[in-house]
Amino acid sequence: MTGMRSRWATTTGHLTGLALLFVSAGMGLGAAVELVEGPDGAGMLLASILTGGLGLLLWRMTRPGGLDHATVFTAVGGTWLIVSVVGALPYLLAGTFERPGVGFSVAFADALFESISGYTASGSTVFGLHNPIVEQGAGLLLYRQLTQWIGGMGIVVLVVTVLPSVRAAGLGLIDAEAPGSGVDRLAPRVADTARRFWLLYLALTLLVAVSLLAAGMSLFDAICHALSTASTGGFSTQDASLGHWDSVVIEIVVMLGLVIAAANFTLHARSLPARRPVHYRDPEFRGYLAVLSVGTLLVTWMLVAEGYGFLASLRNAAFNVVSLGTSGGFGNATGGGGIGDYAAWPAGPQVFLLFLLIFGGCTGSTSGGVKIMRLRIGAAHAYRTLRLIRRPRAVLPVRIGNQVVADHLVERIAGFVVVYGMFLAGGTLVVSALGSDLPTALSGTFSALGNMGPALGDAGPTASYVDGFSTPARMVLAFLMLVGRLEIFPMILMLVVPYRVLQRHSSAVGLFRWRSRRSG
Amino acid sequence: MIRALLVGRVAGTRTGATWTGVSSATALGVAAGVAAAAGLSLVAGLIDLTERGQNTPELLVAGGLGGVLASVAASRIRRPARILFSDILCGTTVALLAMVAGVAGLYLLTGTVERLEDALFEAVSGCTTTALSVVDPNTLGRGLLFVRSGSQWLGGLGALVLAVVILPFRGDGGEFADRSGADGRKPLAPNHRTALRNVVAIYVPVCLILWVAYAAAGAGGFGSLLLSMATVSTGGFVGPGDPLATGAVRWVAIIGMAVAGTSVVVLWRLVAGRGRGLLRSRELRSYLFLLVVATALFTVWNGPGGVSGIREALFTVTSAVSTTGFASSPAGEWSAAAPVLLLLLVAIGPMSGSVGGGFQLLRLRLLLKAATREMVRQLHPRVVARIRVGDRVASENTVRQATVVQFVFVSLLFVTALVVAAFGTELVTALSAAVHALATAGPVRTLDGLVLDPSDWSRSARLSLVPAMVAGRLYFYPAAIAAGTLGSHVGDLLQVRRRWRRWRTGTTK
Repeated sequence: MTGMRSRWATTTGHLTGLALLFVSAGMGLGAAVELVEGPDGAGMLLASILTGGLGLLLWRMTRPGGLDHATVFTAVGGTWLIVSVVGALPYLLAGTFERPGVGFSVAFADALFESISGYTASGSTVFGLHNPIVEQGAGLLLYRQLTQWIGGMGIVVLVVTVLPSVRAAGLGLIDAEAPGSGVDRLAPRVADTARRFWLLYLALTLLVAVSLLAAGMSLFDAICHALSTASTGGFSTQDASLGHWDSVVIEIVVMLGLVIAAANFTLHARSLPARRPVHYRDPEFRGYLAVLSVGTLLVTWMLVAEGYGFLASLRNAAFNVVSLGTSGGFGNATGGGGIGDYAAWPAGPQVFLLFLLIFGGCTGSTSGGVKIMRLRIGAAHAYRTLRLIRRPRAVLPVRIGNQVVADHLVERIAGFVVVYGMFLAGGTLVVSALGSDLPTALSGTFSALGNMGPALGDAGPTASYVDGFSTPARMVLAFLMLVGRLEIFPMILMLVVPYRVLQRHSSAVGLFRWRSRRSG
Repeated sequence: MIRALLVGRVAGTRTGATWTGVSSATALGVAAGVAAAAGLSLVAGLIDLTERGQNTPELLVAGGLGGVLASVAASRIRRPARILFSDILCGTTVALLAMVAGVAGLYLLTGTVERLEDALFEAVSGCTTTALSVVDPNTLGRGLLFVRSGSQWLGGLGALVLAVVILPFRGDGGEFADRSGADGRKPLAPNHRTALRNVVAIYVPVCLILWVAYAAAGAGGFGSLLLSMATVSTGGFVGPGDPLATGAVRWVAIIGMAVAGTSVVVLWRLVAGRGRGLLRSRELRSYLFLLVVATALFTVWNGPGGVSGIREALFTVTSAVSTTGFASSPAGEWSAAAPVLLLLLVAIGPMSGSVGGGFQLLRLRLLLKAATREMVRQLHPRVVARIRVGDRVASENTVRQATVVQFVFVSLLFVTALVVAAFGTELVTALSAAVHALATAGPVRTLDGLVLDPSDWSRSARLSLVPAMVAGRLYFYPAAIAAGTLGSHVGDLLQVRRRWRRWRTGTTK
């Protein structure tokens, strides 16, 4: 106990240390496979050891500190940032992105981009014709898929499962990380709730893996694709993604996996004791299915109107609508310019896909985007406000289904949508200023902020982000992926605690004297 | 009668059986819209006489008939028991639509366009001050040129009346209206009547000053009139040839567009001798800052430098921010960011309380403050924080309506872009056209900066822009309220609910 007290009290450090241990385990698994089957085993093993050492050091030297609101944001944001940066080590040490004519800074930026894209379960990639995925070792590819799997359910949720010392405050940590507007407890203890989420997640992954195996994939590919399906990540072991197999059965399995993964995991958990699905009672789930169904029909109709065959249109519309509507980001194009390549589709379906890049799946799922619940509440709020103008004295609550949504939650969501819109507009301007054209910059920003994966224009499903964006633009997009994964506020507010500490420590040397003069 | 309607009291000239508020407002809106179109037609007919007079008979006859129709309609309107704010918005919307119908009728009657869709598009574009045109002005006589520009002028005046005389009194942003007469000040809008008078007292002289300035800069007498009407209304329709070709005319246009994008409250303070400390207005400073920064970025990204380069950048930026839409050809190769910047500027728009469209700066500032407050609330959930813009505290109602406008704006943007794209327009064009239609700005450009001709789009694509232009000109939520009010009124008339209930329950009563 005395030893514990002598440690440095920092929640961020403690959380990050433990998270790095998990990340190191993932790297170790990849290194083991790579040592057997690939050329980069030594580099990956070194990355695993370094990460594990750093994690152990941080974990042993620190203990959980306070858990006020600002600290929670710093802890969650800091953990994600450090994990994403350290997660680039295997790519760097294996020399994955080194190629002739490219300096270390670009290789580092690419490694960082791929790592962030992985942990945020975005699925955007800098692999491409210049550096094909199929030329990478099996271990590196497994690690790449594992980054999405770890990030999909959430690093912090994972840490909380083994971190009893945070107790009830752990819910705040999960809340800050989890998509949506709050986490429902599945068990009295927070650690048990986190554990149940992870068990469900594991079960879904196994189910998808077995199904893909039965559908004709190899064991390695089935496991890898199951990892990125359950996490709605979208990384693949093939350059053409699922287009490599050109199999309707595999596409259907992945679509079903994505639809389940992008639904609220609380609903899955409640279905188990009830022994029947309770999903359809949930208004958000109904809205989510409606968006996917109507979207599929609409895109099919528009593709048929352009002269494509009905069945081919239905298959490609359904797959791509589900893939982007759940923030999966898999592609089924067998080649550039084909019917599966939605970057080559007519403008109508492309505008609809832009919609989907914003929508995302349900709250409490592994998907990104604004989420159906928020959009429904936003629409209900708009409708209520317009009705209030017609009937100023009416008392009109915002309702979702039979439930009344509290006003403070409505305002929170309205604020979130405002900030989200500003990031979209600002991000598009900055990315285009860094050299991308309007469709590429717009869809790239939408995709990054929604953790979707591929975009439109020069960064479509058959292209690499290297083709569509300059290196600085890719860094901006990587930042937006982190912002989007943590749903904006934690990434901005994580700076509050460091600022306060800096202010406290600097006041002694007069750095902030100007401020006190102003306030005085 | 209009004043009576605005203050929500008597709207009729006949006693006897009362009408509902929405019926009276709608009928008055129709009469006002037709009267506006008729007046425009009469003046255009007379102006056409100064040239060859080829359209004079049609214009005068149509104007006369329209005038009679409007008078008869106005005289038949009966007094309602009471008028709600939603009824007033309904009347305003119907007035705009009636004016559109009248102007479209003039285009068809004079053979300016042959098809109803084209006439409708041109009329909506004019009356909503959007400046997306399918008509070549080089083929038109003076009368019809005046109809085009006049429709923008009337549309701009109507938008200003809506923004200053109607919405602040019963809708959002009332706390930011210049109402107080404390300290012997002359406020812009102490009441409806004075506000209406003051708005006209600013709008008309600014137009006349611009006319003189354009003429002095060498744009010719009639050409200057058209330009001044297009500038003051942020309309953007120009006459035949290239009236904006010379540098002097462009400088006048830049100043005119900047003034048109300025809040009428600011202009009123200047007129009323309350100009001291005007630059302390946060919104005015934001507006000027936006113009300067955007011009600097545009110059840096696109070049060329020098006075002419800066003038071109300033012209293009001011045209976009004020949502006027005067076209300019790119001097060189545009950077990838230039069209994105212009789209963003068009979407943001000028100051609130100006003629311009778009989202407008006050709402943007409110949203920024609301977002900041939300971040503070994340750290301190129980904090009570009010949103202050300048020296005024925004009511929660105003903040709520700003977020709703954002929601409606984005929703309409995507729906419009989707429909336009579905009718065969390419992605960039569909998105740009949707943004421009909602912000009531023109022209739509390619990624290289070249101006696109809406005549090249399909008729269905053009028609799908019409609702966006109307909603944008009515500042979004009034259009939604009007649509809802009209919808429920028509539903009541047709007894839709009762029939639906009867059908569901299977009863025959």
